Amino acid sequence: MRLWIYIVRRSLLVVPVIIGVMTITFVLISALPVSERLEATFGTNPRVPYTPTVPCSKLGIDTPGNCTNPIYKAGIDKLGLNQPVPVQWAVYMYNSLTLHWGYVGNASGLAGQIPLAKGQPVTTVLGWFLPYTLELAGLSLAIILLISIPLGNLSAVNRNRPIDQGSRVLSFSGYALPAFLLGSFVLMAAVLVIGGPSGKSPFCAHASSYFDLYGSWPAIQCWAGSTYPTWLKAGQVSSPTGFPTVDAAIHGQYWVALDTLVRMILPAFVIAYGTIAVLLRFVRNSMLEVLNLDFIRTARAKGVPERSVIKKHAGRNSLNVTLTVVGLTFAGFIAGFPIIEVVFGLNGVGRLLAYSVTLTPLDFGTIFGTTILFTIIVVAANLTVDVLYAVLDPRVRLG
Amino acid sequence: MAAAAPKGRRPNPRLDQIKRTWYFFRRNSLAMIGLGIIVFFMIVYVYAPFYPAPGTSLQTYTASNGQPPVQNGPFPEICTYQPGEAPPAPNCYQTPLGMPSVVGPTVGVSPAGIGPLPFGSLTLNPATTPFFNTFAGLLKGTDWSISISVGIVATGALIGVLLGVVSGYFGGIVDETIMRVTDIFLSIPGLLLVIIFLAIFGISVQSLELRILIVVAAFVIIWWPIYARIVRGQVLVTREQRYVEAARASGASSGRILRKHIIPNSVYPVFVQMSLDVGTIPLLIAAIVFIGFKVFPTNAFPEWGTMTALSVQSSVLESFITNCQTTMGSCIIPWWQFFFPGFTLFLFAISVNFMADGLRDAFDPRLRR
Repeated sequence: MRLWIYIVRRSLLVVPVIIGVMTITFVLISALPVSERLEATFGTNPRVPYTPTVPCSKLGIDTPGNCTNPIYKAGIDKLGLNQPVPVQWAVYMYNSLTLHWGYVGNASGLAGQIPLAKGQPVTTVLGWFLPYTLELAGLSLAIILLISIPLGNLSAVNRNRPIDQGSRVLSFSGYALPAFLLGSFVLMAAVLVIGGPSGKSPFCAHASSYFDLYGSWPAIQCWAGSTYPTWLKAGQVSSPTGFPTVDAAIHGQYWVALDTLVRMILPAFVIAYGTIAVLLRFVRNSMLEVLNLDFIRTARAKGVPERSVIKKHAGRNSLNVTLTVVGLTFAGFIAGFPIIEVVFGLNGVGRLLAYSVTLTPLDFGTIFGTTILFTIIVVAANLTVDVLYAVLDPRVRLG
Repeated sequence: MAAAAPKGRRPNPRLDQIKRTWYFFRRNSLAMIGLGIIVFFMIVYVYAPFYPAPGTSLQTYTASNGQPPVQNGPFPEICTYQPGEAPPAPNCYQTPLGMPSVVGPTVGVSPAGIGPLPFGSLTLNPATTPFFNTFAGLLKGTDWSISISVGIVATGALIGVLLGVVSGYFGGIVDETIMRVTDIFLSIPGLLLVIIFLAIFGISVQSLELRILIVVAAFVIIWWPIYARIVRGQVLVTREQRYVEAARASGASSGRILRKHIIPNSVYPVFVQMSLDVGTIPLLIAAIVFIGFKVFPTNAFPEWGTMTALSVQSSVLESFITNCQTTMGSCIIPWWQFFFPGFTLFLFAISVNFMADGLRDAFDPRLRR
């Protein structure tokens, strides 16, 4: 089979998964009270709330008593809520697939915390906050691969030697240590180390060292005019690209770019830790299996240098397993972002989700939007892994 | 020859296999350490209901802020007073000067003889919220944490095994449907689905028992697909074995083959996964509580994950760090507040991991060396 045929076939398999996921969110959103569902889908109506009947005075009619709410009725008609369930499902699917994911509420806890997002479409807000998360994810993915592949290979070659035992301890503790605890320890240790005995950070004369490390951007006191520059909206989202380091560099503020990157390194390591723990074991075991195969013995027998045997012959062959496991653990990896972004106060999608589910009143538009977005990321990652797998291993395409 | 077996002792292959597994398990020292710690937790689990929570007698005192103490279920509040002051009640704990509201382990010795707090106090926010006895919380938390985890894992495994066996044994359209559904569930980040489920169905439920049931249900929804996957893969191998073929040839019904041959021979990997997952669930609950979601109706619920998460929430950390940086010298970091609950969580998860690793090696003959 040609490679592109394989890619097309594999991509088609994504469609039922996406539809299934959206069906699950449809079931969950249907469980909400109608008024909340209308609010999440069409945004808060400042004049007339989404209730079946409202005081007539609110509609501009000068009569006492209650009137039927035209906005409520219109919303129900638009979502097809007076139609059979399949129609409702179809309307929901159409809206979801055309990226109409609802609005951030005007009065929700999330809007109170992030005024920038108030009343905006969910997709717009997600678009603001996603680049930061992507940058963080890219950095931690690089850390994961750079640590677990060499260390896994090394511990397979030195089986049951100290380095193998050490990596085993690392791996087990990664399973058992919750990310938020590790993150808090790392943050506290860094604050106490940088803070020093005077309690002031060497980087910023005005702020405490806690604020110097906490958050995506340097503490507000550290900026020259103590207000953020115009390219940084409300101190949370950067323009024009949204990628924080790129934007800072575009505007010529290289120390901000560096500072932003440095702030990402600790969180990226903490996120990477859990996945490294899983990956390390698989890389080691698959490497051990490969090292016992005949072609390795042949390579050694014909006098290929040991380094080359490990690196080129065995290493390349155990790469498939690494890829598979990265794909399998990706959902867990993504689910770690809300936690880490809350620990370190980073302005990413995860923190958006954390705010929307914890601050009352809850913001259901954002909750469902974030879930669909995270799922799409996971599905896309799995697709990429499978395609890479086919590129690396021709047998997959043939089978 | 079968006839050579002595009378009265019929060969029991299942028992022999358990014996063999135990033999290999015993030789794995890490696994035995894990098993030892688990046994310790089991003893605590049995003992915890009989432990008289110190402070249940504190119900009569008036706390230093003038409010009557809140009795938060089995997680008693502690009353405190500063060294210079008179104790507001006979059995209150003296607090150190530097941090006016922190009782360290064995520091605040009670004058009334209910003893020092062995693990210190736990506070949700040192400025406003009351103090709880960490030791009592951890002890009572053993019951709650293990019960909740085991409940989730057992229910999830039951559903997963049933669907996995059906899927693997019958194949065809049934298999395809079930596997596509597991695909869908596995591609949603599980933590998110749990949070949404709780946000929609759980947030308004104030009854503790009902809320715990909802938490269990939320986790079961994301937990069964893993087991279904594992069992299906195993059943696909098992159903092609000779003994299954022989059973079918001798006229056994599908139900009998499933019950007697396929299920008993395919569930070993599930045991390994189950024992791993029992340790993971308290960590996940902790993560959800940490981002600020009220999993249980009261924050003072004695569950390991809740205790750990609340003690390191960013507001708490921030206030301690600020305090430390302004009052350098007389600064106390209340390490016991996150160390003891966090360590308990860690110990449980890692011992379960050691055990699962040992079980995997003992079950899988290829890994025995």
